[in-house]
Amino acid sequence: MAHNVWKIGGFALITYVLVMVFVVPMGPGLLELRSTEGTFISEEMERPIPEYFLTGFATHWNEAPDQLSVIVRSQSNLVQLQVIEVLDDTHARIGVSLPYSLPSKSWDVLINHPVDGTLLLENGLFLSDRFIDESLALPALAIEEFAADLPFHFPYQPRILETIRNLMLHVPMWFTMFVLMGIAFVASIKQLATSRSMVEDEKAEASVKAGLLFGILGLITGSVWARFTWGAWWVDDPQLNGALVTVLVYSGYIVLRNSIDNAPLRARLSAVYNLFAFIILIILLMVLPRFTESLHPGKGGNPGFNSYDLDSALRAAFYPAVIGWILIGIWMYRINLRFTRLNKLLK
Amino acid sequence: MDRGNHSAALSSAWSRYVHLTRHAFKMEFRQKNGLAGLVLFAIASVYTCYQVAGSRADVDAWNSLAWVVLLFSAFNAVSKPWPEDSAEMRAYLVHVVKPQEWILARITFFSLLLSALTCIVFVAFILFLGSEHLNGKQGLSFFLGMQCTSIAMASLLAMIQALAIRANGGFGLIAVLGLPLIIPVILIATRYGMDILNGISFADTAHNLLFLATLSGGFGALGYILFPYLWND
Amino acid sequence: MNAINSILVQSHPLEGWFFGSGKALVVLAVALILLIGFGLWMWRAEARLKKMEAKLNQKTSRES
Repeated sequence: MAHNVWKIGGFALITYVLVMVFVVPMGPGLLELRSTEGTFISEEMERPIPEYFLTGFATHWNEAPDQLSVIVRSQSNLVQLQVIEVLDDTHARIGVSLPYSLPSKSWDVLINHPVDGTLLLENGLFLSDRFIDESLALPALAIEEFAADLPFHFPYQPRILETIRNLMLHVPMWFTMFVLMGIAFVASIKQLATSRSMVEDEKAEASVKAGLLFGILGLITGSVWARFTWGAWWVDDPQLNGALVTVLVYSGYIVLRNSIDNAPLRARLSAVYNLFAFIILIILLMVLPRFTESLHPGKGGNPGFNSYDLDSALRAAFYPAVIGWILIGIWMYRINLRFTRLNKLLK
Repeated sequence: MDRGNHSAALSSAWSRYVHLTRHAFKMEFRQKNGLAGLVLFAIASVYTCYQVAGSRADVDAWNSLAWVVLLFSAFNAVSKPWPEDSAEMRAYLVHVVKPQEWILARITFFSLLLSALTCIVFVAFILFLGSEHLNGKQGLSFFLGMQCTSIAMASLLAMIQALAIRANGGFGLIAVLGLPLIIPVILIATRYGMDILNGISFADTAHNLLFLATLSGGFGALGYILFPYLWND
Repeated sequence: MNAINSILVQSHPLEGWFFGSGKALVVLAVALILLIGFGLWMWRAEARLKKMEAKLNQKTSRES
């Protein structure tokens, strides 16, 4: 029983991960600052001020509506904006009274709120109809940034929003495929080293089949994720293309095996092809993506993640997810191996 | 079956390698149909592209068609059985020649064959689809890129051809096994081609050729290490 | 891009619709049932394979 612990452990980890995925709330963020094309006349100022809508995501402004403070920033210039009215937790009317001459067209929007902390919307305000004098320096405000007072939550990422939850499903598929193809790679090398037995060849075949399943699942989960964040089921991206080609290459392995009847020859030839296939996997999924820019998270350096993607809340669910799915994948491979061996015994 | 000439120059590894390469060429030229078929396929493909895209093909079309024609001409070149693959020939060669020399000779033969094919494809392209996108220096860079790509393809396809022949799988198997594996080569080649056609200087985009050379070396090394397992029964 | 974000949120204010009303917990329950069910199925498959292996080994060792 003790040697089966890892099998139960894999499913236990994924149970924990699923609970996290569906229960943990999202953290707050700013979505947009949009002009209403209207104006607001306050009691103090004679001129009407342009009115903007500020939209937040998972914010809690109504819990302390008087303490919401909105600031725009361009390099070191900070200007406080007037909060006309807080409509609900995620909407507020803001008066944007900036002078006609500005040091820059593009401003970051920051808010401070006791519950949500300090939130940033980069380049949230773009003013195209002003006179730009880059040497202007507006009076510098002191701004203190402070942390949110919220329970455990997943971080807000622009554009990704709630779909970050898919991280626990999509990415571990690729890690698992990589581990299983690695097992097949080692088995193929060992198969070429021996001359008689087929043991390693059976391992390689079972491992590739399980890995192929995870590769296909990875493509499907990635495609669904792309539909919700990028708007398309597929984009022309080096990592997507590399993933698809890797699945094709290992499908070729299955085709090769099916076209040879002589067992020792099949073992040898498929082992040779498997070595090529794994090298191509390394090139396509680890080497090439590091050299290209793309939509896929974590480009130009690390094809996995940038450090901002893995804040501690995500890590608490992501690392168990990777380990859990790898354990499940290995169990699938072991069952597949048993099944093919039994089949051979029965023949 | 050309058994006689083998015994003459088999003293050292280098002379065996040279002899095998030359032998492969002799076999190829002996079957005039094969060679003519290759050239005809290449030129007919270019002509078809011309019919479809016209002589005013834009940059994207020019680039993609050039690499597609090169890719499929290369696959056509390797989809042929070895004339020396009969059982007696193999039994003889196994004693006389080391498998590493054989595969290196095949890779060299294919590289030279595909290089020549590249020249034909390139000239046909300029002829039919025009050279308005390429000034002189760009043309030279593009041609250099095509040569590097054909060497990379040769080093991979020699091994895949050996695998498919040993598997008795027919030449459909070469396509099934070879096309996915050759995609990194095509990705790099098309990126290089687009850069050159868009006017980026050779120095900025030459790192792609370095990648192709690395891939060629990698595939050649893998073939060198792994071919002996295909060779011995 | 900001417009897309706010459209997404306004048409599916997930905070309320999905999580607040407990629909998320229903999906979680279904997912867990599928996951645990799959685990149990794998466990049973392995048990059956082990039993068949034992039977075959017994038969071959009895015959030899």
